[in-house]
Amino acid sequence: MKLRTFIKKRFGLALIFIGYAVSILWVFTRSDPIIQKRPVTISLAHWQLERGPSAGIAAIIKRYEELNPRVHVEQQMVPDAVWKQWMRSNLAGGTGSDIMEWGMWLAGQKDIPARYFEPLTAELKQPNPYNKGTALEGTPWEKTFHDGLIGPRRDSPDPGQIYAVTFTEVSTRLFCNIALLREITGSDRAPKSFDDLRKIFEKVHAYAQRTGKRVNSLAGSRDNGIWIAQNVFSGPLLKVNYSIDESGYLYLYNRQVLAAYLDGKWRYNQPGVKAGLQLIREVADAMKPGFLQLRRDDAMLEFFSGEAVFLYTGTWDATSLRQMASFEIVPMRLPPVTPDDPEVGPLIKGVGGEGQGETAMAMYLNKSSAHKAEALDFLRFATSVEGQQLFTDASLWLPAINGVKLPEPIKSFRDYQDGYALGQAPYDVIGSEVSMTWLRNFYQLSGAQGSPERFATVLDEAMPAAIRKDLQDEMRNTLLLVKPADTQIVAYAELAGETPEGRKAATRQTETEAGQTMSEGLAFQMKEQLERTAIGK
Amino acid sequence: MLYPVRGPRLVRRLTLILLITALSGLLFGAAPVKLDDAWRALSDGRDRDALRAIGNDRSTRAAQLAYAATVMSQQPAIDQNMREAEAIFIELAKGDDAIADEAAYLRARLWQLHYFTPDLAKAAELYTELAARHPQSHWAQLGLVKLGLLKLYALPDPASPDRLAPAEALLARIHEPALQRDLHLQIGQAGVVLRQPLRRLIPHLVAADQIGGIGATAYEDLVIQIGELSLRAGLLEQAKVYFTRYLKEYPAALRTFAVRKRLEEAERQLALAAKEGGK
Repeated sequence: MKLRTFIKKRFGLALIFIGYAVSILWVFTRSDPIIQKRPVTISLAHWQLERGPSAGIAAIIKRYEELNPRVHVEQQMVPDAVWKQWMRSNLAGGTGSDIMEWGMWLAGQKDIPARYFEPLTAELKQPNPYNKGTALEGTPWEKTFHDGLIGPRRDSPDPGQIYAVTFTEVSTRLFCNIALLREITGSDRAPKSFDDLRKIFEKVHAYAQRTGKRVNSLAGSRDNGIWIAQNVFSGPLLKVNYSIDESGYLYLYNRQVLAAYLDGKWRYNQPGVKAGLQLIREVADAMKPGFLQLRRDDAMLEFFSGEAVFLYTGTWDATSLRQMASFEIVPMRLPPVTPDDPEVGPLIKGVGGEGQGETAMAMYLNKSSAHKAEALDFLRFATSVEGQQLFTDASLWLPAINGVKLPEPIKSFRDYQDGYALGQAPYDVIGSEVSMTWLRNFYQLSGAQGSPERFATVLDEAMPAAIRKDLQDEMRNTLLLVKPADTQIVAYAELAGETPEGRKAATRQTETEAGQTMSEGLAFQMKEQLERTAIGK
Repeated sequence: MLYPVRGPRLVRRLTLILLITALSGLLFGAAPVKLDDAWRALSDGRDRDALRAIGNDRSTRAAQLAYAATVMSQQPAIDQNMREAEAIFIELAKGDDAIADEAAYLRARLWQLHYFTPDLAKAAELYTELAARHPQSHWAQLGLVKLGLLKLYALPDPASPDRLAPAEALLARIHEPALQRDLHLQIGQAGVVLRQPLRRLIPHLVAADQIGGIGATAYEDLVIQIGELSLRAGLLEQAKVYFTRYLKEYPAALRTFAVRKRLEEAERQLALAAKEGGK
């Protein structure tokens, strides 16, 4: 009885005491609160599973959450093999991440920015508040990027708008197994011209035949093959490009190259383009047979096994290479094809240029985000001097903005080639249909049976339909942006006023009107070109 | 026992509170429709949220405009929606206020772009009517820019062999600088695609640049384009001015090398011309 009375009387007190003890234990053993104290959670999704970027982004998030106790940021890493399906289904279902990576080269995804992402043009004109106290204080956000956001400008569905900010800068390099190069050629000198590289290819081939060892000049895969092919293809295309540049941009957009083909202004069979095909054949033959069936991981494996002298890849693989290779790797520039090249020299206008590099890993703001302001604020921090220094130090990937101190191992990646700009893409990837037709027939170029003449003839038979379809798609994608803009313009007009929100709406109205008219003009231009070149005309 | 003894009393009290709350709507009037929420949703492309914000009260002209604009942008975009929106736009356009002009403009846009089978001639007619009725209205001015595009590409004047002239004639009626700039730019670009003489189209590109406010890649393209086309047309001084400006504004861009080469060419031709002039 006494015990029951005691429990009845003291039970509440005992419960409080136990609760207090558990709380003390929790505070000293766990860092996370029982109840989430951050009312806002935003998510950032990307496909960069290489070594480096996830650590870089984690470092940015850690600091950002210290500065912004209200906000929790989740990093979502999705493999690139499923990225397209994952992105589209989530965006269509309204469950897309607040910030998402997107790239122009994702086949069949060109409509995504116009449909689902928010333009950042007005915000990019303002200084980034997180740059206060640095050399970039007061500089418009847009101008803090090392390349002035070349990619997001070029890939914008609306030429008057910018939709993304970039997190890093990339370039491509020939990563060389220097000991193997020395063993085979007797020298570790980097090739200065494409002809030097050609001679190395010959020596490696002769070495493999002589010794019976399995060794190729270039580690091969579909991805690495496409990257190097695009680079060498661009050399002879410069001259072709400048001969069809009616608009005088000194650079061609895909829609212009497509329209010029339909107008009969260039053909795969003309000498300049065929010279490019010949160069592609040379690099393809320097890889193992059947490389188009392999992926970039296979090429890495081939390189790590000492079965290839060079791996041509982007600086995005540099951290993985540095951490995983058991031999010394020296990054070299792919030597340019020059006007004195003994094979294709007369068809070369000059050296292709890189400007001041190109920033990449473009991050877009989801139009349907429930926390747009916070997501935008995170993008500002991630691309501030402090955010980018954290990213660079943790990832060993180049920063996207100016004013960041480069760690020693990646300093050589900022060594640019001055020269002519080609345009949005070489002629193998100017559209989805074109790319598919190219790959479907690639066997006509490489190997013992292939030749540039044969490939060019097949392409000129198959491409007219593919090119027409791609130009139609370009036109349709442009119109995707035009139609919703009608009600958006009226909505902005109704919201315009003297309040800060009203002023922002007025700016958006002006921008949207100008952008819509430009896009509408482009769609009309493409329609004109399609009609002018229609079969039977 | 599942319910406490005091349950029925509590239920009665709650019912009373609910009744009073519901009746208060009759006494004080329904909450006003939050149209700003609807416009905000519409500006983000969230048409369902816009409809929710508008609700059933469409007693004001503004609410009717918001509703019709939402119906017009609903997915899937079917002609039935367009017809419903157009009927409302027709009624609203009979008024004499800004909403009437917005409605008339959107009606023209329906016929140009949103119906499954567009009728560009009808759209042109509606833009023309709006500009005749309220020439100073922003929506009429914007409509004239769109009319200019139709005249350039879709509805060329058969009596005029000059494809740029009908759109050029509209420029004098557009008073808003930003809209005048947009039409100048479109006439210039159409001149390139329609292969008009360079000296005919370049002034439009220059005019667009001088009005200013063009952003992003469009601006970078325009500066190079004026420089390069001027060089090709023999307008060497102008080419030099634009190439020099590009190099100043974009000292390290992808096209800087090519522009430097073209500036050297313009200067070489200028020196040659000066030498020949001095002979």
